[in-house]
Amino acid sequence: MSHSGPTPESFADQVRNAPGGEKLDLCYSCGTCTAACPIQWVEEAYNPRRILKMVMMGMKEQVLSSPVVWLCSACDLCYRRCPQGVHISDIMKAIRGIAAQEGYEPVRAIAQVDERACSGCGMCVQACPYQAIELTPRWVTIQQVMRQRRALPKVDKFLCQGCGACTVTCPVSAIGVAGVEDDTVVVQIREFAQAIGPNPANSRTTGKKVDVDSPAEGIGSGLSGLGR
Amino acid sequence: MVDAARHPKVDVRTYTEVERVEGFVGNFKVQLRQKSRYVHADRCNGCGECALVCPIEVPNYFDVNLAPRKAIDVAMSQSVPLLYNVDMDACIECYKCVEACGKLEAVDFGIEDELVWEDIGSIIVATGYDHFDPSVIPEYGYGRFPNVVTAMEIERFANSAGPTAGNLVRPSDGVNPERLAIVNCVGSRDKRFNPGCSNFCCMYGIKNAVLLKQAYPEMDIAIYYMDIRTPSKGYEEFYDRAREIGVHFIHGRPSLITEDPETKNLYVHSEDMALGRVIEREYDMVMLSQAAVPQPDADTVSSVLNISQGPGGWFMEYHPKLRPMDCPTDGIFLAGACQGVKDIPASVAQGSAAASRAGRVLHSDEWEIEPVVAVVWEDRCVSADGKKCGVCSRACPYGAIEYEQGKAAHVVTAKCHGCGGCVAECPHNAITQMHFTDAQILAQIRALLAKNPEEKILAFRCNWCSYPGADLAGTSHFDYSSNERGMRVMCVARMDADFFYEAFRLGAGAVLFSGCHPQDCHYITGQPVGAKRAERLLKQFERMGMTPGRFRVEWVSAAEGDKYARVVNEMQELLDSIPKEKLLEEIEGMKPEMEKRARRMKEPPQVEEALEFADRMVEAMLKAEVVE
Repeated sequence: MSHSGPTPESFADQVRNAPGGEKLDLCYSCGTCTAACPIQWVEEAYNPRRILKMVMMGMKEQVLSSPVVWLCSACDLCYRRCPQGVHISDIMKAIRGIAAQEGYEPVRAIAQVDERACSGCGMCVQACPYQAIELTPRWVTIQQVMRQRRALPKVDKFLCQGCGACTVTCPVSAIGVAGVEDDTVVVQIREFAQAIGPNPANSRTTGKKVDVDSPAEGIGSGLSGLGR
Repeated sequence: MVDAARHPKVDVRTYTEVERVEGFVGNFKVQLRQKSRYVHADRCNGCGECALVCPIEVPNYFDVNLAPRKAIDVAMSQSVPLLYNVDMDACIECYKCVEACGKLEAVDFGIEDELVWEDIGSIIVATGYDHFDPSVIPEYGYGRFPNVVTAMEIERFANSAGPTAGNLVRPSDGVNPERLAIVNCVGSRDKRFNPGCSNFCCMYGIKNAVLLKQAYPEMDIAIYYMDIRTPSKGYEEFYDRAREIGVHFIHGRPSLITEDPETKNLYVHSEDMALGRVIEREYDMVMLSQAAVPQPDADTVSSVLNISQGPGGWFMEYHPKLRPMDCPTDGIFLAGACQGVKDIPASVAQGSAAASRAGRVLHSDEWEIEPVVAVVWEDRCVSADGKKCGVCSRACPYGAIEYEQGKAAHVVTAKCHGCGGCVAECPHNAITQMHFTDAQILAQIRALLAKNPEEKILAFRCNWCSYPGADLAGTSHFDYSSNERGMRVMCVARMDADFFYEAFRLGAGAVLFSGCHPQDCHYITGQPVGAKRAERLLKQFERMGMTPGRFRVEWVSAAEGDKYARVVNEMQELLDSIPKEKLLEEIEGMKPEMEKRARRMKEPPQVEEALEFADRMVEAMLKAEVVE
């Protein structure tokens, strides 16, 4: 309004002014997003409707310090169903941007690079759906003695969602998300398979024997040849 | 309905369409198409023998296609008049019905559509609404899952005269459902489909729940809602009653409905706001309260009757608060949902209001209209000299100007609404608008730009939107530049290019061309006519080398006082940003061109006198230092 002077930008304004945040106030809390959210199925504390409401109410500290704002995977199942056309994943992105500016750390596992194993091929950069990885030249020590300048992937901790697309793509298993590295998952699959017992229906389909017994700890198992 | 049909002064024409409407208030000529029923109305006694023998069955539209009807049948059992008609799309012409009719000889395949002209005093449009088709919402599965049904289907199931005689059954297996979910706001309040609220779904959802709960007390009924809207008399009490008899209300809009392929039971996924968590409940049947949308042929009706449509396609009323049953076209009235979604009491109220308005027309010998109408200077109209023109007739949104080559154009005063579009469009200045003549407006421009014109912002505002918008800016105490000088005309269509040439010729600093948003135009298509002209002017001025922004085009609604103030302030900022010498130089440089273009503005009668008078007034006022 032209008669009122400038006021300091509120938290809700910050989000509104961010790209994608324009439609924040259209949300009338119908709950369709929450009911549609696949993250909600596994993490009940994540409720996009409630986060939007908290932003509108200006609850800055609670929103930015909450671990759940880092959970949205931008699958946009909610956006397609939202009767008001609110792009919730963009709003989440805007909230994270503000959190990053204000010095909050993301609370979740992100992709980590084993610099010794990485060949710098850049396939992870292309695989990342969030543009969280870029190749940057760095000095690395290989085999304890040689120092070499290499282009290595660098993961932006604010953008990475820990989805693991890079891990799947990496030909030498040099990138992985803590807790869901290639070998950890394989071990989990094996345990699961043992727990449910052999399925005769599947016996025809896989003739190959997968070697999962070789020792592997954490990322970097690419060197041990487990990945491929 | 039966009473109405029996009334000696009521003539009910069913199965009849309005083809053309000519004339004006009190003197309409309406062409009706009496579509052929292939049954003589005066002979058919409604016995139904023909339908008994007819071998062809087609889906019954009245039962939402849940039950069949015969190819010769009545539209519904309560039809007034009770006349059978043949669905020729389905009929195989076996003539069994002709035989069954026997001596009555009512069935006659030789009957054709009949076109008749009728003299009509006033017209009431009550064409109602249609239902939104929920199958376009993939997540609710309507059309894919047999047990997801619409409210209208439930309505027919629950009706004792319906296809199941009032027995509510699941379409998949014919079993009574034990658990029913009612989903509100399906396709309404949804920017993807219909942004508006459909008004009555909350209440009919609750009504169906209460009725079904009475018929099946054991049934578990849950209503999924975003907001329950019970604004009318007795509605909240009814909502309370539904809660009291055990209907569940779940605050949350379902995001997904899935089906168990074996049992055909349905799972409704939603957030329950009260519980604060996502729930998934199993139901035997789901009812979708679908949105109300305009009739599919609303566009045809609007073009036949020359009535405009507002946002969403509903017919536009004259004024949303004060004249909700009047059309912008005199003598045509609106009743019911065709004007906007409304429930039964509101429709009845509006229908009665429209009837009394129509009666007023029928009982008047004279009809009073606004004095702001167009008048042709017959000696100036080139058509009278046999030249081809007709520009005015094409510009008129009401069809009020009769044009025939060789005769001067003629304005049917009763049809003219006074937008002034014809006046501005006439290339020969042969039409004027009473109370807004060229002479009057030019004299005002001259007076407003009498002193220090380069400091002034001359604002042309339309009477219905931007003028009240500026008013609102004032009453809301929004500051805007005091150099603004407002000019009122009825519509942007009246804003003749000559006015702008003249304003710049007189040295105006900036000029604003403002009117309604396209969908809000009071004169059906006045805004587009003016907008086209404004665009042309923008290009012209740009070519002449005018600083962009000195001529500005803005659409400001009556509610946008803040926008009006902002626009004027931005124009003031622009003027402030141009050094004064540079501005004066630009104005001087463009004067000859403006003079050349504005030369024809003095042609219309009375302009010279008016300008002279204005000059004298200004001179006197300047002496008295009234004008600043």
